[in-house]
Amino acid sequence: MLLLLRRLILRPALAEPGRTLLTLFSIAIGVAVIFAMDLAGNAATTSFRSSLEVVGGEEDIEITAVGGVPVEVLGRLNELPYALKYSPRVEDFVWLNEKRTVPLVGLDLVSTALEAGNQKLLERPEKLDLGRRAAFVSKGLARAGEVIAVQVNDTPMRFVVAGIFDTGDVRGDLVVLDIEDAEAVTGRANRLDRILVTLPKAEEDKVDVWVETLRGHFGGSLSIRPVGARKEENRKMLAAFRWNLKILSYIALLVGAFLIYNTISVSVVRRRGEIGILRALGGTRAMVRGGFLAEAALFGLVGGVIGLAVGRVLAEGAVLLVGLTVEALYVSSTPAPVRFEWGAALLSLLTGVATSVLAALAPALEAGQVPPTEAMARGRVDTLAREGQGRYLLYAAGLAVVAALLSQLPPIARLPLGGYTAVLALVGSAAFLAPAFVTFGSKLLEGRLGVMSLLAGRSLSGALRRSAVLVATLATAAAMMTSVGIMVGSFRETMLTWLDTQIRADFYLRPAGSAAIDRHPTIAEAVADEIERIPGVEAVDRFRAYSIRYGGLPATLAAGDVRAQMRYGRTSLYAGNMADALQSVTSGEGVIISEPFSEKHRLRVNDRIRLPIGAKEKEFRVAGIFLDYSSENGYVVLDRNALRQYLPDDEPSNLAVYLKASVSSGSEREAVRRQIEAACGPRRIAIFENSSLRAEAVRIFDQTFAVTYALEAIAIFVAIVGVAGAMLALIIDRRREIGLLRFLGGSRGQVQRLVLLEAGFLGLFSQILGMVAGAFMSLILIFVINKQSFGWTIQFDPPVAALLGASLFVWTCTVLAGFYPARVATNLNPIEVMHEE
Amino acid sequence: MDILRVENARKRYLAQGQAVVALRGVSLNMRAGELVALVGRSGCGKSTLLNLAGAMDFPSEGTVQLEGEETTALNDDQLTRIRRFKVGFVFQNFQLLPTLSAVENVELPLLLAEAKNARERAREALEWVELSAETERMPHQLSGGQMQRVAIARALVHQPKLLLADEPIGNLDTATGNLILKLLEKAAREKGTAILMATHSPDSTRIADRVVEMRDGLMVAA
Repeated sequence: MLLLLRRLILRPALAEPGRTLLTLFSIAIGVAVIFAMDLAGNAATTSFRSSLEVVGGEEDIEITAVGGVPVEVLGRLNELPYALKYSPRVEDFVWLNEKRTVPLVGLDLVSTALEAGNQKLLERPEKLDLGRRAAFVSKGLARAGEVIAVQVNDTPMRFVVAGIFDTGDVRGDLVVLDIEDAEAVTGRANRLDRILVTLPKAEEDKVDVWVETLRGHFGGSLSIRPVGARKEENRKMLAAFRWNLKILSYIALLVGAFLIYNTISVSVVRRRGEIGILRALGGTRAMVRGGFLAEAALFGLVGGVIGLAVGRVLAEGAVLLVGLTVEALYVSSTPAPVRFEWGAALLSLLTGVATSVLAALAPALEAGQVPPTEAMARGRVDTLAREGQGRYLLYAAGLAVVAALLSQLPPIARLPLGGYTAVLALVGSAAFLAPAFVTFGSKLLEGRLGVMSLLAGRSLSGALRRSAVLVATLATAAAMMTSVGIMVGSFRETMLTWLDTQIRADFYLRPAGSAAIDRHPTIAEAVADEIERIPGVEAVDRFRAYSIRYGGLPATLAAGDVRAQMRYGRTSLYAGNMADALQSVTSGEGVIISEPFSEKHRLRVNDRIRLPIGAKEKEFRVAGIFLDYSSENGYVVLDRNALRQYLPDDEPSNLAVYLKASVSSGSEREAVRRQIEAACGPRRIAIFENSSLRAEAVRIFDQTFAVTYALEAIAIFVAIVGVAGAMLALIIDRRREIGLLRFLGGSRGQVQRLVLLEAGFLGLFSQILGMVAGAFMSLILIFVINKQSFGWTIQFDPPVAALLGASLFVWTCTVLAGFYPARVATNLNPIEVMHEE
Repeated sequence: MDILRVENARKRYLAQGQAVVALRGVSLNMRAGELVALVGRSGCGKSTLLNLAGAMDFPSEGTVQLEGEETTALNDDQLTRIRRFKVGFVFQNFQLLPTLSAVENVELPLLLAEAKNARERAREALEWVELSAETERMPHQLSGGQMQRVAIARALVHQPKLLLADEPIGNLDTATGNLILKLLEKAAREKGTAILMATHSPDSTRIADRVVEMRDGLMVAA
């Protein structure tokens, strides 16, 4: 059997190294992308190991509260009759050297961090500058004794480096202050960010029991959870994001599967004579089938192994892109170093092999059907393909109906599995449409561009089986490009429209530094007051945000002047009555929530939600739901005056400044801006014009989809290269016809035109089929997968010009990819090919 | 003027690294309407001579002239033009394009040459080979003899001066082969086409004006 395998499978594969290498390439890239995205995803979204952890000990439970844990809670804990160790913490971020954001942690240095002894203090200066606050910093951030310039909230300050920590294998920097210093610099008024609880050794396996015990003392006002719960919540929060990334990473392999199908189909057709002989000599059907499946498995295995090596390299780049998205949309987290994970490697490899074998199943089964007496000619196979067109159209229609039904399914385990499978069914539907598309398209175009277009059209419809697979391959990539393009384009347009209604203020202010969804540095209250007194200013909307956990997921609790926002910002509600919502929110009885929050937690207008705020737990009515595209985690918004009842901290996170109508000219605006800058004084506050904030939002949006574009581009690249390889095989098989053309007076130029026209036709059919299929897929992406994954309402608004441009570009690439096969065709020696047996 | 003039043509080429001499100094002149049968065993150089005569290849030494035009002096485009307008080919395996109908196969040389009235002329050519009823049939719907008649129509449709036929009845039964031979003879007599036919068949030699035997790259009888 092995001998037969070597002779019948390996030898032909080695005899055509170009085609073999291209097939391996398509599988290798497919596996590489899957593996890379898996490694990058793991590094960027599952570790959540921040440098904050390296100064911790072996804490078991964390106590948090929205707006901070009142200091007296620590006193109450100490009075409890338990032998537990409590470590209070202040946690924030500093803007370091006006370059990057670094976590800041304030802890009881003497009793906690250094005593824990789990980190090595590498350096200590001989003398400390006692005139400045002393900070410990992570290795590489600064040297002991140096002075570092930082900004906390909106206030610039300097710390002297008192010592250096080694953060080990955890990426990212860290600044550590003594807790009293940290309270002072962050402006925490008797509030702690976390209290960590360490259980005695003997009690370590009873974390849940102790969580319940402590909850018994504090009711629902505080969030008391095992330390790992936050990581678990983050993982849960990112599950949909990771799933969508994972699915996208499979596109290239899906495209590769078509190419494997094509390769094995070609093998079967070419070797029908051999198969017949083998059967006549006593070979069984199973042996023949097994041989071709083994060929596919071999392609999958070798391509997969190459893919793992390539994927490991790709992962380094991918983790940066994924990390940026996670940071921008979800959580402040530094990606862990990318590591080669054997489990992920094995899974990617198996996926590659399984895809190859599955793709080869149909041609392998067909090979097993070849009777010993028949060495079926290729023309006959294509005739069968033509005859099967009616059946294929039925399959296409059936799969389209299946897709429509699957898209109606609700999410399963919070995942849009129905949507994913509906997209796959649409890919299948498009693939079954391909033969009819090629036949019809060829008929329509043949002869319209001279004799070569007649020959090109005829040879494509003549070699229907192969050309249909090539069209299906390219169409799959084009459909993915179109559908994701429409989804992203529609999303972009929806967001821009939303920004127009949201960003109505003339100036926006926030503390300088990089923004993140879960960091909410504040601006001094005095600054807001001062700006309000500027003559040209109509109103200042103060917006305060806190990161909260609701229903086991992160979210943002925000408070603002809801009346001003509704009046000036013209926020409209997606669900609920505006007058009722205004009345309810301003009275403190209700909140309005963002659409993603409502979708994630299945909340509707008039539902009631319980929110822990400060040391209290308060129930609110959902008075309205508003559209929001700035956070996937979602917002709960209440009136600023209502929040003050529970959290006295008045410092806003953002300010929206509305100018009077009389301030109309550019110079007048500039004058007001200068007054605002003066009001900020020495504080570091970023002032954005309306337009620049909008531009920043668009930049973040585009950055978020960079990974998507990269994965699309790879899939299209694989498809084009694969099609070039498949066309080369087609040319080699048709070399006699090409030789004949030369005998009949065809010039080299005409032969080249023939091949390029075929490439052009293939590209054109694929692009049209892909765009039609992609348009349907985009409906599933927008209204099913997006809605179920992220909860956003996106208006269907396809970026037609951009899509046509992209399509034209891909079509041009397809034609360009035909140049090499065309060169091979023109260089064929007509005498040799006409006389060879 | 001679349609074809081959003078002391030699042809050497490399096959799997080995130097092979296919023609060792062959000379042949043909007039319009002359039918020459080229006989000899396989590998004696018949096909090589046809390729040189059809401007598909150059001699290593010696000259080949088609209507006084020396092929060795021409570039690829000029050779292509000669094939388009002066030469027609008929092959043993018919070599019809399977995706084109009979009439489309016949009009192909005209389309390649961007000639006018291609379809009309193709129909006329098919009528000439008595296949007017089969113009729209695909090759797989035709018998062997019909396919070869289509091939002859294709070879003659652009009214070449020289028709080169490589074993034209090698794949046909005797009766069908005779029909094909009659057609070739008719082409030579009615149209004045010079026909050089490589053949193994004694039947073919009967219609020839001249029989040239080749052996080991040389002409042994003319």
